[in-house]
Amino acid sequence: MPFTFTMTPADVALLMPEILMTGLLSVILILDFLFPRIGKTALAYLSIAGMGGIFLLLADYFVEGRHGTLFREMYIVDPMAIFFKAFILGTTILVFLSSIDYLKKVPAFRGEYYFLGLLGALGMMLMVSVNDLLSLFITVELSTLAFYILVAYLRDDAQSNEAGLKFFILGVFAAGLLAFGISLIYGETGSILFTDFAKMQAHPTPGMIIGFLLIFIALGFKIGAVPFHAWVPDIYQGAPTPVTAFLSIAPKAATFAILLRIFMATLGDIKEDWVWLIVAISAISMTYGNIVAIAQKNIKRLLAYSGIAQIGNILIGLAAASKMGSDSIVFYLLTYLFANLGAFAVVIIFSNLTNSDNLEDYDGLSRRSPLLAFALLIFFLSLAGVPPLAGFIGKLYVFAAAMKEGLVALVVIGGINIVISMYYYLLVIKRVYINMPKENTPIPVSFPMQLVLITTVGGVLLLGIYPKAFIEISVAATELFARMP
Amino acid sequence: MTEHILSIILFAPFVGVAVLFFIPNEKLLLVRTTAAIAGLIPTLASFYLLYAYDSAAGGYQFTEQYVWSTDLGISFFLGVDGISIPLVLASSILLFTGVFISWHIVDRPKEFYIFLLILAAATIGVYVSLDLFFLYFFYEMSVLPMYVLLGVWGSHTQGYLEMADRQKRDSVGFIFNFTSNSKEYAAMKLTLFLSAGAVVALVAILIIYATSGLNTFNLVELQAHGQVPDYLHGLLFLLIFFGFASIAPIWPLHSWSPVGHAAAPAAVSMLHAGVLMKLGHFSIIRVGYTLFPEATREWMPLAAVLCVFSIVYGGLVAYFQKDTKYVIGYSSSSHMGYVFLGMAALNVMSMTGAVLYMFAHALATGMLFAVAGFVYDQTHTRDIPSLGGLSSRMPFITGIFTVAVAASFGLPLTVNFIGELMILVGSWEIYPVQTIIAVLGIGLTLAYLFRMMRGVFYGPMNPHYAHVHDASPFVDRLPLLVMAATSIYFGLFPSQFIHVIQAGVTPLIAAIQGAGPVPPAGEPF
Repeated sequence: MPFTFTMTPADVALLMPEILMTGLLSVILILDFLFPRIGKTALAYLSIAGMGGIFLLLADYFVEGRHGTLFREMYIVDPMAIFFKAFILGTTILVFLSSIDYLKKVPAFRGEYYFLGLLGALGMMLMVSVNDLLSLFITVELSTLAFYILVAYLRDDAQSNEAGLKFFILGVFAAGLLAFGISLIYGETGSILFTDFAKMQAHPTPGMIIGFLLIFIALGFKIGAVPFHAWVPDIYQGAPTPVTAFLSIAPKAATFAILLRIFMATLGDIKEDWVWLIVAISAISMTYGNIVAIAQKNIKRLLAYSGIAQIGNILIGLAAASKMGSDSIVFYLLTYLFANLGAFAVVIIFSNLTNSDNLEDYDGLSRRSPLLAFALLIFFLSLAGVPPLAGFIGKLYVFAAAMKEGLVALVVIGGINIVISMYYYLLVIKRVYINMPKENTPIPVSFPMQLVLITTVGGVLLLGIYPKAFIEISVAATELFARMP
Repeated sequence: MTEHILSIILFAPFVGVAVLFFIPNEKLLLVRTTAAIAGLIPTLASFYLLYAYDSAAGGYQFTEQYVWSTDLGISFFLGVDGISIPLVLASSILLFTGVFISWHIVDRPKEFYIFLLILAAATIGVYVSLDLFFLYFFYEMSVLPMYVLLGVWGSHTQGYLEMADRQKRDSVGFIFNFTSNSKEYAAMKLTLFLSAGAVVALVAILIIYATSGLNTFNLVELQAHGQVPDYLHGLLFLLIFFGFASIAPIWPLHSWSPVGHAAAPAAVSMLHAGVLMKLGHFSIIRVGYTLFPEATREWMPLAAVLCVFSIVYGGLVAYFQKDTKYVIGYSSSSHMGYVFLGMAALNVMSMTGAVLYMFAHALATGMLFAVAGFVYDQTHTRDIPSLGGLSSRMPFITGIFTVAVAASFGLPLTVNFIGELMILVGSWEIYPVQTIIAVLGIGLTLAYLFRMMRGVFYGPMNPHYAHVHDASPFVDRLPLLVMAATSIYFGLFPSQFIHVIQAGVTPLIAAIQGAGPVPPAGEPF
């Protein structure tokens, strides 16, 4: 087959966000090298401004409903892809804002931090648009590459180094599984395009089943679903906290975009064959994550296990395998973004002052900083699913979707898990509100962190009290599954 | 103005919360006044509601409906009928009086009032919601403030200081750890119990949503056109019954309640016993009775059995308590059994009595808890044997307590009497055995309340408490007088109340009776 490559201006426009993003990260890198004296905070604000511009462009694309395919259908731009790109950019902006203070503790290479963050974001933005297995492999690895370095960024900190190494080894292992799965599927079908698989109506061959299972395992590693979760707590604990926040949201959202494309668009017609798998993984993830979280003494580990449980909750939407299920996933991810990032922001603010992530040190936070304590209360209650906060609507949405597909047992397990999770969230709230503080120094909140807190608290309240617009965005974003029941 | 009256009642406390955020804790008087105003507005509006409701027309009135999400079929739909109006009124009165009862709180009063206002507003929200989603939304929202209110401003229950094993004493780790007396334990137990109950109800609500074929949470539409398959009715009714009855609290799901009452600060105990527990009965009526009339008829006899255990067990345990708040807490559990008896008999007389009794009990138990809280504030103990003879030091408080006791066992002239009488008369034909036991239960109430009255206010005085003083002229007396006056006023002039309640109860009972024959009279249990 001769290689032809033509791109019309319309095609370039489709790729424009990624092109701009590449330009932005190059500018940041070059500025950092050429002018070593430039303030790193300035670099952060420059990246944030650039990403803000790209975010607006994406919002425009979304409203316009722009869609199309590129590179012989290997790359797809549709409302879902645009939504997830904007989601990832939004996360990155908030993470950068929370990094500004934290990075003052890092001895060197503070400029490259922003470059690597942008690189990871770019990888994930490409990832949500893939429509074939090879691009999947490349984009997944591109985004993970940045994270390998970011996780180990505190080079004098043994825990951070350990986390980086663990993440690398397990990540490479998952990449191997992914490549193996891809080769099996290619061998069975002679194709790598998702859209081609969708046309094969017959039941899959054993080779294909194993291939898809391997791909699912590799993606399961990315989202940290049980039983592929073993890396999550150590790496969340060891990594610099802003990186942990980044890692806990953006790659998970991107991976859910892929999972939606693979399971709903490609394998949607044979959903009887795989629903049980998702149901099982979801139930185990929720239950395991919530029970183990009870015993944690470090807030980052607690958030790691609660994150595993949240992933189990999102998988309920995937198990529903319906249009409403995909809406609920998208909406849940939004609620998770605000609540989880907000919780990490509080952890960052707290550790900037105290250098501690131990739950014990959170005793009496409400007497030291009432607003910070109230913010933490709101984020944790949202994660637990208490009205009038975002997490409640998210949980109700996935439950309703699953119930409509008759997954009563899964909803019951989800309900039981709400009660279990409430227990450990409330234990932290008990420390914050009821226990007496060991010391009484107030906790300062810098300007960028104030921005983050205002955005996340606002998001959690808005999504919980009046989420109409966001539900409509979620419904519009998953337009392509409208043919699903 | 009047078409938005329910919004005003519901949102006034929330506006109060928003205002409180911007007032620093140091401006104590401003904080308290803001909270008092946020409680006064709904109280006045609720009184208006009671007299403006057109009981001849009946049905849901003052409705307001706003689309919230078309994709999920949720609308913000408010409306009241004869069953919810008394409870809205009770919630507002207890919020308003609760603000004054907690006037002397000095530890973070702003945060206290914020959580108190959220608690009361969420309770009101359940009573005025005609959309299943929002009913659940406010229900769950009312549970969580309790955790912080109990944990921060509550007090350890009896025996806490005597316990040697500190680790066990402060443990919140074991839900079934009956020896823990810390307020943290009480708060955690209460929250988890109620959340678990809520989740059971949530499963039922979602099944209704998924199987009705309407893609809506709108309760009125579900009542009219819902197509939930018949074979699910019984199961769904039971899920709703036990999910919501855990907050009611029916025996054997009551164990969170007395310990929760005892640990809570006075105003929170008042709201908790006065209106939070009624969320259970109300939600069972609003969701279970209206959507599944046939299953109601089939399964309410079960409630008629359980309510006897509530009445007798609660009463007996109350008699042997040494802690004032435990006595009142168990008495509340016991009295809620009367409401269940009235609900189970399924006729207009008994149901009207049940709703009226819920209102009456809110006021009576509110006074009891307020007095117990006042005595505790003065003496720092709730141990009945160590108290005594306080009547000479606090004549006003003793007087209010007497009114509260009289109301609690249903002395004529108080509204409790009318409610109790209607329950007993109405249920006599259907459940004579239970009715006799319930009448005996009144004797039990008399016994433990008089025992507590004697122990706290009469007899020899403990010289240790010679320094205590009576309620101060305005702030302390106002809430008590409001509750006592309301209780007696409606005891003397209950007709408007009864008309309103009957307008709500009659169509409900007609629908249930229309579904088949009533359980034959005289059938035991």
